[in-house]
Amino acid sequence: MRTLVFIPAWNEEASIDGVIADVRAHIPGADILVIDDGSADSTTERAREAGVLVATMPFNQGLGAALQTGYLWALREGYDCCAHLDADGQHPASEVARLLAEVQADRADLVIGSRYAKQTEPLPGVVPEGEDYRATWTRRIGINVFRFFLTLATRQRFTDTTSGMRAANRRVMSLFSENYSPDFAEIESLQMAVREGLRVEEVPVRMLERTGGSSFLTPLRSAFFIFKGLVVILVGQFKPRHAEAER
Amino acid sequence: MSLAVFAAQADRVSLTSQTRVIAAALAILFMLLILDLIRRDRLQERYSVIWFVAGLAMLAGAAFPGLLGSVADLMGVRDTNVALFSIVLLLLLGLALNFSVIMSRQAAQITRLAQERAIERAKEQAAREALEGRLNGKREGEDEPARDRSS
Repeated sequence: MRTLVFIPAWNEEASIDGVIADVRAHIPGADILVIDDGSADSTTERAREAGVLVATMPFNQGLGAALQTGYLWALREGYDCCAHLDADGQHPASEVARLLAEVQADRADLVIGSRYAKQTEPLPGVVPEGEDYRATWTRRIGINVFRFFLTLATRQRFTDTTSGMRAANRRVMSLFSENYSPDFAEIESLQMAVREGLRVEEVPVRMLERTGGSSFLTPLRSAFFIFKGLVVILVGQFKPRHAEAER
Repeated sequence: MSLAVFAAQADRVSLTSQTRVIAAALAILFMLLILDLIRRDRLQERYSVIWFVAGLAMLAGAAFPGLLGSVADLMGVRDTNVALFSIVLLLLLGLALNFSVIMSRQAAQITRLAQERAIERAKEQAAREALEGRLNGKREGEDEPARDRSS
C-alpha cells in the first residue's frame, strides 16, 4: 500500500528536518513531500538537503491551499493513503502512524488526530499517556464553540476540530483536491466529508508543546476567528453535496 | 401644508438647466475616461460595459429630465432625488457584489495556479534527482545515509 506523508511548512527551517527525520523513523514505508507555502527562510533548501521532495508555492497561499496541494499530489501520484502533520514539531510521527493504520485497515476514510478525545480504550500496542497538551483560555473557548457547533451540524462527535494531524484514503483525496476552502479548511473539510457520507473518525493522540514561536491568536483575533468559523459552519450546511467521491 | 405638496408636485423635475449641463459634461468626461482606460489597456472591455452603460444613463438623465420623474413615479417615490439616490446606491451595491464574486473566482484560480506550480517544482526536483541517481537508493530503502537527527 503506497503511503504519502506530506508536511505543510511555512518558515519552519528550524524544525523541518527534525520532523522529516521523525517521520522516516516512525513511518518507514512512506514517501514524504514537504509543501513550502512560500517561506521567506530556507525551509525548501533544508527539506531538500534532508532528501525529500519539496513542492514550493510561488507565494504564500495559506495552510488550506498548502494542504490541498498535498492531497492533489497524493491523488495524481496514485497513493493509496496519505497523512499530514504540522512542520513545527508539535505532532509526533509515531502518532501519525496510528492514524494511518486506521485508514490502511479501512476502518475510516478520514482520521483526525485529536488532542482532546478521551482515551477510552488504549489502542493495541500503545501505552496510553496523559494529556500533556494545555491550551490557553482564548483557545479553549474557540475549541469548545467549534466543537459544539460542528457536532451539532454533523451529528457526529468531534473534539478537536482544528487538528492539523490527519490521515486519509483516496476517496478523501479526490474530494479534498477539488473542494478545500482556503480560509477555514480544518473545520469545513470535516463538515464536508461527513456530508459526503465519508467515514470520519477521531483518534486520541498525544501532541507536544510548541517548541518555538507563539500562537497567532490574540483575544480579539480569536473572537473574529470564532465568528468566521460559525459563519463557515452555517453556510456549509446549505452547500450542495458533490457527486459521490469515487467508490 | 397642502401648498407645499402642491409645489413639490408642480416642479417634480427639480433639475435646473445648469445642473443638467454639469451632469451631461460629467457623463461625457466619464465615458471618455473609460474609453481612454480601455485604449491604454488599463481596463478590460468585459469589465467596462457596465461603466459605459452607467455613463449613458447619466447622460440620458441629463438630456431628458422627465425620465427621472417617470422612474420616480414607477418606484412610487414622491421625491425624484430620493429615487435617484436609491437607484445609484443599489447599482453600486450590485457592482461591489459583482466584483467580490469576480475576486473570489480569481483568488481560486490564483491558488490553483500556485498549487500546480508547486507540484511542477516537486516534479522537476524528482526528475533532476532521478538523473543524478539519488532517488534510486531511497526508493529501495537502502544506501540511505543516516540522516536521523531526531532525539
